[in-house]
Amino acid sequence: MNTLLEVKNLKVRYGNIEALHGISFDVKEGEIVTLIGANGAGKSTTLMSICRLPPPEAPRVTEGDILYKGQSLLNMPPHKVVSDLDMALVPEGRRIFGNLTVEENLKLATYARTDGHEHIAQDYERVYQLFPRLAERRKQRSESLSGGEQQMLALGRAIMTKCSFLMLDEPSMGLAPLLMYDMFRTLKELNQGGLTILLIEQNANLALRFAHRGYVLDTGEIVAHGTSEELLADPEVKKAYLGG
Amino acid sequence: MQKHTFTIGLFALIALIVALSQLNILDQYYTSVIMFMGVNVMLASSLNLVNGYMGEFSCGHGGFMCVGAYVSSLCTVLMFSKNQILGAPLLPPQLAFIGFPIALMVGAGAAAVAGLVVAIPSFKTRGDYLAIITLAANYIIISAINNMEIVGGPRGFMGMSATDRAMSGVIDLPWMLIFVLLGSVFTVWLLRRFVTSTLGKGVPAICQDEIAAEIMSVDTNRMKLIAFMLSSGLAGLAGGLYAHVLGYVNPQSFDIMRSTEVMVMVYLGGMGSLSGAAIAAVSYTVLMEALRFLDVWKWVVIPLLLILLMQFRPEGIMGNKELSDLFPKLRKYYSFK
Repeated sequence: MNTLLEVKNLKVRYGNIEALHGISFDVKEGEIVTLIGANGAGKSTTLMSICRLPPPEAPRVTEGDILYKGQSLLNMPPHKVVSDLDMALVPEGRRIFGNLTVEENLKLATYARTDGHEHIAQDYERVYQLFPRLAERRKQRSESLSGGEQQMLALGRAIMTKCSFLMLDEPSMGLAPLLMYDMFRTLKELNQGGLTILLIEQNANLALRFAHRGYVLDTGEIVAHGTSEELLADPEVKKAYLGG
Repeated sequence: MQKHTFTIGLFALIALIVALSQLNILDQYYTSVIMFMGVNVMLASSLNLVNGYMGEFSCGHGGFMCVGAYVSSLCTVLMFSKNQILGAPLLPPQLAFIGFPIALMVGAGAAAVAGLVVAIPSFKTRGDYLAIITLAANYIIISAINNMEIVGGPRGFMGMSATDRAMSGVIDLPWMLIFVLLGSVFTVWLLRRFVTSTLGKGVPAICQDEIAAEIMSVDTNRMKLIAFMLSSGLAGLAGGLYAHVLGYVNPQSFDIMRSTEVMVMVYLGGMGSLSGAAIAAVSYTVLMEALRFLDVWKWVVIPLLLILLMQFRPEGIMGNKELSDLFPKLRKYYSFK
């Protein structure tokens, strides 16, 4: 399998505080990889650095490199990362556009696509097939959606940008357990269709059952990594993150 | 057929107004009120793109209007009028039909370029801070023109009515009225096309969440550049028409008072509603004329109305809805979204 994303000795800081002390990990094509860790471990910081979000939102990279298909991302603006490299991010807290309708949210995501109306129309159909609820509510302003539906929209929006690599920041946050399982089932389906996924999750148990491999992040350092089975069996990980 | 009813109706209305004015059933006063309505519709709808759809607070719209007014006036005076400094007319009056729209476009283009003064700082600055920059832009433009002797400085600049005379000399019609009405239809049409397009959806996205817009592949800097330049360019077009309607401009008529007036129209109509902006511009112009008997006191009454509006209907007449949202039956005749 080809390596899709490679993070090499990444050090980033917010002002004077170093948030990541040189982490390295990689994601291969077709894989689901998860980063788990406690609050403040640096999970979201890692994702934001990969997406090149502008300051003050994003941390400043002081050392190391982020390579996607061998190409460094460090000098790219976020919209280029999304449009040219087919990466997509479902951000923490969803951040959908509440002042637009469901359909307009999806339409906006096609902003930089140049692959023609036919492909875009196919993707609309795919999103509405995955989430029939969105199809029912396509004319509704998205701020009126429930939390679960908003999460569906955030994922649908990411699909509409035409992505081959999807990053998710805490997709289970604020979802009822049933909806959460639904969401993960959908993600699994998308992965079987060829989508590579990098997942950040507080719910380590759920994330490891879902992913192929995982990395454990603790206060800015990677303290353990391995296949999901290995991590689930690791007594240290069990004690710290899986509740004994 | 039904889809075109609205367009046909609109142009029939324009033809009717022009005919009434031509036959002197609408006298000079009513004709000029209608022309100011048109100019105000253009100003309010173009400012609405920035203040309503994009959620910024631009309070220097008068400045861009000023650039458009002066640049297009300079062009037409150079082409069709005798001027002490610029000399004899360069072109015969028959060419005014081509020359005038070109002059208006040049004015609009210059105003769009002036919009860069605000657009480039907007990459890094938002909200209140950007509002101060727009205010400064307005002052810069007014002061610059105050100090330019070639356009008369604070005394103002005239000679634009020669263009109107040149056109009426060839075909006797109220040409300025026609241009203003067509200009306002063009402005609203263009803005409507823009905000409903996939590209234009980037504008409300920036209003809501810039970071989220970026990760949806929206180049927010480019989007801001387009929105600010489109808005100021259309204000320049309105300014050009305003200058030629009056036949005389001076820098004071584009100062912060003018910018405030346009803002009042936008907030009266409802932010993010084009039909709201148009309705507000028309009713504001009517109100200004209706309160003329109050003389200076109308500047006490109108701000008071604004306070009452903000108290009891802060979202303006239309909120962020369009006419077709409030009266779904209208959708048969024209579709907004």
